[in-house]
Amino acid sequence: MPSLSYPTAARIASRELHSSRGKFTFVILSVAIGVAALTGVRGFSSAFRATLLLRARSIMAADLSARTNVPLTPYQQSALSDLTSSGASETTVTESLSMASSATSLDPLLVSLKAIDPAKYPFYGDVVLDPAMPLTQALSDHTVAVGEDLLLRLHLKVGDSIKLGTQIFRIAAAVVDEPDRLSGSFAAGPRVLLTQTALDSTGLVSPAARVSRRYLFKLPPAKPGQALSDDAVAALKAKVDSLLPEAQVSDYREANPALTRALDGATGLLSLMSLVALVLGAVGVAMAMRAHLQQRLDSIAIMKSLGAGSSQIMKIYLLQTVLLGLAGGVLGVLLGLGVQLAFPLFLAKLLHLTPSFQINSHAIAMGLTAGLLTTLLFTVPTLLSVRNIRPILILRRAVDSGDGTFFERLSRNLSSYLLQLLAGVVIVGALVALAARVSDSSTVGLVFGGGLIAALVLLYLVARLLMYALRLFLSATRLHLPSSLRHGLANLYRPGNPSAALLAALGLGVMQIAAVYIVQRSIVSEMHVAVSENLPNIFLVDMTTDEVGGVRTLLAQQPTVRGTPELLPVVAARLVAINRIPAAQLEKKRGFGRSLQGLSLTWSPTADAPPPGDKVSSGQWWTAKQAMDSKLHPLVAIDKNRAARLNVRPGDTLTFSAQDEAFTATVSALFEADSRHAYSRADFVFPQPVLAGLPAVWYGGVHCDPASTAQLRRALYERFPTVTVIDVAATLETVRQVLLQITYVIQFLAAFSIFAGIVILASAIAGTRYRRIREVVVLKTLGATRARIATIFSVEFAVLGLIAGITGLIFANIMGRLLLLRQFHFDYHFQPWLNISAALCVAALTVAAGWLASHRVLGQKPLEVLREE
Amino acid sequence: MIVVSGIRKSLRTGSTTVEILKGIDFTIARGEFAAIMGASGSGKSTLLGLLAGLDNPTSGTVTLNGTAISNLAEDKLAQLRGRTIGFVFQSYQLIPTLTALENVMLPYELNGSPNVAGEANGMARARQLLSAVGLDSRVDHYPVQLSGGEQQRVALARAFILRPPIVLADEPTGNLDTANGSHVLDLLLHLNRVEGTTLVLVTHDPVLATYAGRRITLRDGLVISDETQVPAQHTPAGA
Repeated sequence: MPSLSYPTAARIASRELHSSRGKFTFVILSVAIGVAALTGVRGFSSAFRATLLLRARSIMAADLSARTNVPLTPYQQSALSDLTSSGASETTVTESLSMASSATSLDPLLVSLKAIDPAKYPFYGDVVLDPAMPLTQALSDHTVAVGEDLLLRLHLKVGDSIKLGTQIFRIAAAVVDEPDRLSGSFAAGPRVLLTQTALDSTGLVSPAARVSRRYLFKLPPAKPGQALSDDAVAALKAKVDSLLPEAQVSDYREANPALTRALDGATGLLSLMSLVALVLGAVGVAMAMRAHLQQRLDSIAIMKSLGAGSSQIMKIYLLQTVLLGLAGGVLGVLLGLGVQLAFPLFLAKLLHLTPSFQINSHAIAMGLTAGLLTTLLFTVPTLLSVRNIRPILILRRAVDSGDGTFFERLSRNLSSYLLQLLAGVVIVGALVALAARVSDSSTVGLVFGGGLIAALVLLYLVARLLMYALRLFLSATRLHLPSSLRHGLANLYRPGNPSAALLAALGLGVMQIAAVYIVQRSIVSEMHVAVSENLPNIFLVDMTTDEVGGVRTLLAQQPTVRGTPELLPVVAARLVAINRIPAAQLEKKRGFGRSLQGLSLTWSPTADAPPPGDKVSSGQWWTAKQAMDSKLHPLVAIDKNRAARLNVRPGDTLTFSAQDEAFTATVSALFEADSRHAYSRADFVFPQPVLAGLPAVWYGGVHCDPASTAQLRRALYERFPTVTVIDVAATLETVRQVLLQITYVIQFLAAFSIFAGIVILASAIAGTRYRRIREVVVLKTLGATRARIATIFSVEFAVLGLIAGITGLIFANIMGRLLLLRQFHFDYHFQPWLNISAALCVAALTVAAGWLASHRVLGQKPLEVLREE
Repeated sequence: MIVVSGIRKSLRTGSTTVEILKGIDFTIARGEFAAIMGASGSGKSTLLGLLAGLDNPTSGTVTLNGTAISNLAEDKLAQLRGRTIGFVFQSYQLIPTLTALENVMLPYELNGSPNVAGEANGMARARQLLSAVGLDSRVDHYPVQLSGGEQQRVALARAFILRPPIVLADEPTGNLDTANGSHVLDLLLHLNRVEGTTLVLVTHDPVLATYAGRRITLRDGLVISDETQVPAQHTPAGA
C-alpha cells in the first residue's frame, strides 16, 4: 500500500497545528513547563548540591577520613600508596598532646599538636590565619601556627618562639579557624599547627607515644566539571574499611549528620519534584491530545473514507505529537535555563551563595528527550484510538458500540484492549526507566513508576465508582434539585464527557502536587529545628569537678550565652570484659586492639531520660527507679555505632574498670548521638549512682552569640586558665547558613513545581472547553442565559474539583507518608486543616480554570457554530 | 459490478438493538447509474456505507468488482476504498485545513494510482478536474472561503481524481439551493459520462432519481421496489 509521504503528512499535521494555535499553545506550554521544571530543578539542584557538598566536605576537609591510634603496618602503608596511585589523593594529619614552653613563661602548657602537610591539607575549606597567609608560607621546618589562646596563656605574640620537645619554633601566625575543627579530636590544650617534619624533629613521637592519625582522602571527579558521585566515595570507604579494620572510617556525609540528612532529604525531594513536573506535563499533553482527536474525528473519518489506513493517519498525528513535543521541549529547556540563570542571581544577595551556572548539555539533552518521550508515551493510547474511529461516522454520527454476538464483541474489545494494554506496558516501562534516569536511582524510579500506575488505576476506579454513585443519587433526587445543579451534575456522567479521565488526571495532579508540598513542609520544618540557635558552638574541655560550679555561674552571667549550657562529666575507663569474656581473649579473637581502652563514660543529667541530643534507637532507657537501684544493678546505654563495633546488643553485659574499680553493667539501650551536642563526646551513658565517687573530668558545650565568642573565651581564660575552650562558632554558622539555604531553595523549587503543576492542570481543564461549544450553543438557542450556563458549568467543575481534590489528597498523604518515613527518614504528621483547605482550594481553582477557559465559549454566537454543522 | 446479497445490519445503542437493514439483495452492473430512494430512516445511508465498506454488515456480503469486502481487514478495505470508490457526501466533508487543490489531491497522496502516475500528473489531473468544475480561480482557497456549491464541486473533483470505477453519492445536492444543486448534478452526470463510472446515488428527492437508469426503493430496511427506467435528460440550470 502506498504510504502517505512524510511531506504530505507533515503538511496536514502543521496545518492542523496552525489552525488551532490557541489550543496547541496550551499543549506546548504544558510540555514546556514540565521540561522547564525538569531541567531547571535538576540543573539548578545539581549545581546547588555540588556547592553545598563542597561545604559539607570542608567540615571534614576531605571526602573520607580514617582515624586510628595504631601505627600502620608496612603492608597497610604500601596498600595506601596503591590507593593514591589509582587517582585518590591522601594526606596524613597527626594529632598528639604535648607540653609547650616559652622564654616568657616558666610554666609549660599542655598543647594539642596537629601535624599536617601544608601542600595538601586541607583538601576542602581553608585554614584562616592571622596575619592572613597561605599555610605553605606559615609552616616550615622551623615555624608553627598556634591558637590565639596559646598566645594569651603564654603571653606571646606572633613572631615569638616556643619550645616543643627538643626544638624551638618561631610562631608565624595565629590560627583563627580550621575547617575540620568539629571532626578533629577535642583534645585539651590550645592548638599548635606544624608540619610532619617539624613534629618528627621534636622527638615527641615515639612508637609508644599516644598519637592519633587521621588519613584524609580526596577523590578526583569521574569527569572534569562533574560532581563526585556518592557511589565513588562509598566504594573508597569500603576499600579503606577493609584495609584499616582498626580505624574509624567516615565519609564527609557523616561529618555533620544534620547537614547531610538535610541534603539527602532535599535531593530526594528535588528528584521527586522533577518526576512530578515531568508526569504532570505529560498528563497535560495527554488530555490536550485527547480533546484534539475528539475534534478531529470528522477529518479522520473523511480520510478513512478516501482510503487512508489507520497507520497513515497515525503518522500524521504522530508527527504532530513530535512537533509539539519538540516545540515544548525547546521552549521548556530555554525556560529551565532561565530559571537556573535567574534564581542564583536572586539568591546571591540574600544568601551569599552563588552556585556556578553552566549550560549543561547533558541536562538539555535530557530535558528534550524527556519532553519528547513523555509527550509521545502519553499520547500513544490516544493515537491508538485512531484505529477505532470508523469512517461510517461521516454518514451516521451516533456510531453504535459494535454489533454481533456478545462473544464477538468481547473478542473485538479484547483485541483492542490487548494493544492498549501492550502500549500501557511500554509506557510504564519507559516511564520507570525515565524516572530512574531522572532520579539517578532505579529504586526511586520503580517505586515512583509503580506507585503512579497504582494510584492512576485506583483513581480511575474511584472516579468511575463516584460517577456511578452520582448517577444513583441523581436518579433518586433529580426532581427535588434545582435545574442548574441537576444539569451540572448530569454533565459529569453524560456520554462523551471525559469526566473519569479528567478526574483521574486532576486527582493524579493534586496527589503529586500535594505530596511535594507535604514532603517539603516536613523537611523544611525539621530543618528549622536543626538550625535552631541554641546548639553549642563553644566547647569546654578539661574542667575539674571543683571548677564546674564556677563555670556554670560564669556562663549564667554572660549575656551572650543562650540556652542552658551542657556540662557533662567524663570518667575514663577501659572495658575488661564483654558478656564475661575477658578483654584479652576478645582482643585476640576480634582484633579490638586499643579500642577497649580510653573510653569515655558519663551520666545523664536527668534520672530517667537520655542526655540532650541522644535518641534511643533500640532497647529502653531506664526509669527513675531503675536509676536509683543502679548501684546494685548497673545499667548502661551505648552509642549505636560503638555498640556495632563492639558487637553488643541490649541485654549484653559489659565489665568496666575505672581507677581499679571494676563493675559490670547490663546494656539497657542503644542510642544515636547528635554530634552537635556536647554529650556526643561520651559513648557510654550510665545512671548517675553507678559512676558516683569516680574521678571525673568535665566537658561542656554552650551556645554563644557567634559575634561575641572571643569575649567569652577571654572571660573563661581569665577565671579558669586550665580549661581549654574550643570555638566552633564559625563552622557551625556555616552549617546553619547551609541548612537555611537548603530550606530556601527547596521552598522555592517546590513552589515553582506546584505552580507549574497548577498551570498544567488548568490547561487540561481548559482543553475540555471545545466539547462545550456545541452544548453552549444548544442551550443558548433554547433560551439559556449566560449566567445560567455559567452556573451549570460551575457546579460541574466544583464537583469535579472537589472529588479530584479529596481523592488526590488521600493518595498524597499516603505517598507523602511512605516517602517521608521510608525513603527520607523524616517525620510525617497528618494536617487535617491543611487537607480540608487544600481540597476546597482545588475545587475553587478548578472552577476558576474552567471559567477562564469557558469565557470565550460563553460569548460564542449560536449561528457561528450551527453554520459549521 | 456491485453485488449485494443477504445484507443485514443491526445497531446497538446502549441496551437496545435496532435492525436497520433486514436482508437486501441486488446487483448493479458496471457503468450503471442507480438511485437508491427511501424516506428518512429507511436505511439508505447505512446501505451506502456498507457498499463503500465504511462499515461491516451484521450478515450478508458486498462484492465490488469481484472482491468480497464485507470481512476485509481494515487497512485492506481502506486501500480498496481509495482505489475503487469515489465519494460525494451531502455535507461535502472536505478537510478544513487543506486548500481546494490539496483536498482534491488527498486521495492521490493517500493511495497513489496506476491510472494517474507521478506527482506532476496527479497535480495536473487535480487542476484539470477543478477546472472542469469551474474552480480554476479557487484552487488555493480553504473550504471555509468557499460557498456550499463550490465546496461540493471540490468534493466532486476529489471523488473522480483516481478514476474510480464506482462513485457513490449521498444526497449530493441536499445541502444546496436549486441553482447550485442543479449545477452540481450536471457536473456529476457529466463526469460520470466522461469517466465511464458506475454511479450509485442515495436520495429522497424523486426528481433527482428520474435521471438514473434504475431506481431501488427502501422502506423499513427492505427493498420494496427495484425498477429500471429511461433516464430523464438533465437540463442544466440557466440553460
